[in-house]
Amino acid sequence: MSRVILVVDDSPTMRGMVTHALSEAGFETKEAENGKDALIKLTMMEEGGTKPDVIVTDINMPEMDGIELVKEIRKLSAFKHVPVLVLTTDNTDEKKEVGRAAGATGWLVKPFDSELILKVIRKVLPQ
Amino acid sequence: MNGDYSKFLQTFFEEVTEHLSVLESGLLTLEQNPDDVEVLNRIFRSVHTIKGAGPMFGFTTMSRFAHKVETLLDPLRNRKFSATRQIIDLLLESADCLNMLIEAAKNGTVIDENKTVLDLEARLETCMTVTAPAPGQKPAPGPSSATPAPPAAVTSASQTYHISWTPGEDLFQRGLNPLKLFEEMGRLGTVTSCVLATSRLPDLADLDPERCFLSWTCTLETDYPREDIESVFEFTAPPGGLTITALSSSSPAAQPTQEPDPEPARSVVNEEDDPQLAEVFFGQKSDSLGAILVEQKAVTPAQLAKALDRQDTIRANSKEQKAEVSMRVDTEKVDKLVNLVGELAITQSMLSALGGRFEIKHLPILQERLLQLERNTQEIQKRVMGIRMLPIGTAFNRFPRLVRDLSAKVGKNIQLLISGEETELDRSVIESIGDPLTHLLRNACDHGLEPPEERVAAGKPEQGTIRLNAFHEGGKICITVEDDGRGLNRDKILAKAIEQRMITGNDTLSDDQVWALIFRPGFSTAEKLTDVSGRGVGMDVVKRNIEALSGIVSIKTVTGRGTIFTLKLPLTLAIIEGMTIRVGEDTYIVPLLSILESIQPKADMVKTLIGKGEVVNVRGAFYPIVRLYEVFDLQPEHKNPAEAILLILETEGERVVVMVDEILGQQQVVIKSIEENFRKVDGVAGATILGDGTVGLILDVRGLVKLARQEESIAV
Repeated sequence: MSRVILVVDDSPTMRGMVTHALSEAGFETKEAENGKDALIKLTMMEEGGTKPDVIVTDINMPEMDGIELVKEIRKLSAFKHVPVLVLTTDNTDEKKEVGRAAGATGWLVKPFDSELILKVIRKVLPQ
Repeated sequence: MNGDYSKFLQTFFEEVTEHLSVLESGLLTLEQNPDDVEVLNRIFRSVHTIKGAGPMFGFTTMSRFAHKVETLLDPLRNRKFSATRQIIDLLLESADCLNMLIEAAKNGTVIDENKTVLDLEARLETCMTVTAPAPGQKPAPGPSSATPAPPAAVTSASQTYHISWTPGEDLFQRGLNPLKLFEEMGRLGTVTSCVLATSRLPDLADLDPERCFLSWTCTLETDYPREDIESVFEFTAPPGGLTITALSSSSPAAQPTQEPDPEPARSVVNEEDDPQLAEVFFGQKSDSLGAILVEQKAVTPAQLAKALDRQDTIRANSKEQKAEVSMRVDTEKVDKLVNLVGELAITQSMLSALGGRFEIKHLPILQERLLQLERNTQEIQKRVMGIRMLPIGTAFNRFPRLVRDLSAKVGKNIQLLISGEETELDRSVIESIGDPLTHLLRNACDHGLEPPEERVAAGKPEQGTIRLNAFHEGGKICITVEDDGRGLNRDKILAKAIEQRMITGNDTLSDDQVWALIFRPGFSTAEKLTDVSGRGVGMDVVKRNIEALSGIVSIKTVTGRGTIFTLKLPLTLAIIEGMTIRVGEDTYIVPLLSILESIQPKADMVKTLIGKGEVVNVRGAFYPIVRLYEVFDLQPEHKNPAEAILLILETEGERVVVMVDEILGQQQVVIKSIEENFRKVDGVAGATILGDGTVGLILDVRGLVKLARQEESIAV
């Protein structure tokens, strides 16, 4: 059974590239356009009895940003243990600290290197 | 590396183009309402996305520039200061510059150290320094193992150094504390960034806590010479473990860049050296998964170099991909189509079942099924055309900016009101409508609206208004450009036309005919040539462009009150609404757009005038008659106009009457080119397949008008 990764980004280009890299590596991917959309997708998955193995999210998005999303996810009993990797252009320590405090598992920087993303995802995948 | 992202290049360009228009319209909104945080957030996100996605395709300059713009947008968004006219001007220029970079990228051109880019970047930075109260002098807090250095006074002579330090593994064993070293370095100046790299850290099982596997990269702004920095790290690093590189002399208030620029990073760090690393897992701790010690990596110089190599490939590919024209279609539209095609298939299978065992008593069912088929077909046709439809707003987007710039240029206060942006029409029409509209708007700004003094003197508000409106009307789209200016001046136009020998002083022309003169090539009434318009090229080009789209332009004007230009365009170019008519045994199609009315004249309405040929008097106006059977050499049913039917057609403001035997009905016809398959035929615009499978010719109304004029001159 292939592992499912939820990719959250408001940029279709970014979403496309990340999911492309992930699916080439054999992952199944789901996409969401922003934090709110991601929560909807998660709820739908929960109803279907599934959940993503890892979530990769952008920070700067309309409706609900990535930090808020992480906070929300950490509140949901079904998803609070799902690793959330932030993938963003922001690379400041302040921002990272905010992300860490919100409950993000890791911090990846755009432009991204798909090898690195894959490596990190494999690392955080629940056994 | 599974990094073939070239196929996302097209998506990227489409997305970026949208972001640019968000940026531009956002900036214009901001000008009206400088503290609109919603808008600021939106444009920030757009720039942010360009910055983030650009480097994935190797567009580093674009990304670097977007970063500079973002740096200025950020304090605006956080309400540190608000957007002045100067800032908005600068940001608009930056948007243009981004556009240029994107266009260049589309063409596969590499823009590197372009003057415009560098100049704007410098101005963006200056703007930050001038406007921002005290932009970030504060050092970024270092990761847990490093200590933030106390800020030191920085003088204008300070220099920024990039320090990459990989101490020997025996650092701890020798009793050295890296923390102390950083504190010492902090005394030399301001540490603007300090990043811990733990890539060499072995797995926990193999970790010897007494050995040092860490390395650091820092940026230090200092007045002290390089030797002093070196002395801090003396004896701590094996040969090659320490590199100190001067980046650039920095101005005191320069905002420390949040990310190291890719360019310097590449030149500074060599590949064997300890790479510039960022931590993925926030140092040692991760809340949810507990302590994970992993090799932490972000972009290594090796990867960067690889990415740079890759960009050549991508650029090469992007050239090939340019020819590919794709369009994005709403999923909903596609779903509806799929659904409809399903229904069509059902109808078809019902029909074939019926046909298999047909008896005459089933006729009503057959008719019902056929009706259903017709409905299906029409619906599918409508929906398929709908796929090519876009809201016209995409063409209107650039106009607020245009009018804003023009109003500054011509020294008038002009507001542009746009409505009907959501009106949909064929995307090829949208693409071609931009230039004519631009021209009409330029003209309205330059000629249509009076200078402020003149307006006030005429008792009008000082601010001139131009309205741009789009709406559907009877299967056509109407676009109006309306100004509340001085209106067209009949005498001036006539004088100019006589001067340019377009008409003679003896001609008596109706108002409409006078207005139509401004569409003649070479016509211009502007007393002086301005930068904006008035070189006599223009209105004829507008008309030609519109007519190339099978549209018409008309003018309504009231002296002193303003002018309205109305463009009527078909929704699509591939299908027209046609009126089928019969002459003798042949069927022709007349574009519905050009039919004004049809009449059955009384015998005394038709006259032959000297110099005009045969004309018909319709409510006092005389129109030349073209007998279609003469043009196409046919055997008609009626040769007497009083028995036949006359269609009054209009094109380019001129009217002509075409004599036919019968009007058969209205139908949509798909235009097939005759020129492509045969050759150009005078008086015929194209052909179509009629319901009974025969070919029907579509009349070229313009050609017929020309024909009527020739007859006139022969009659003279």
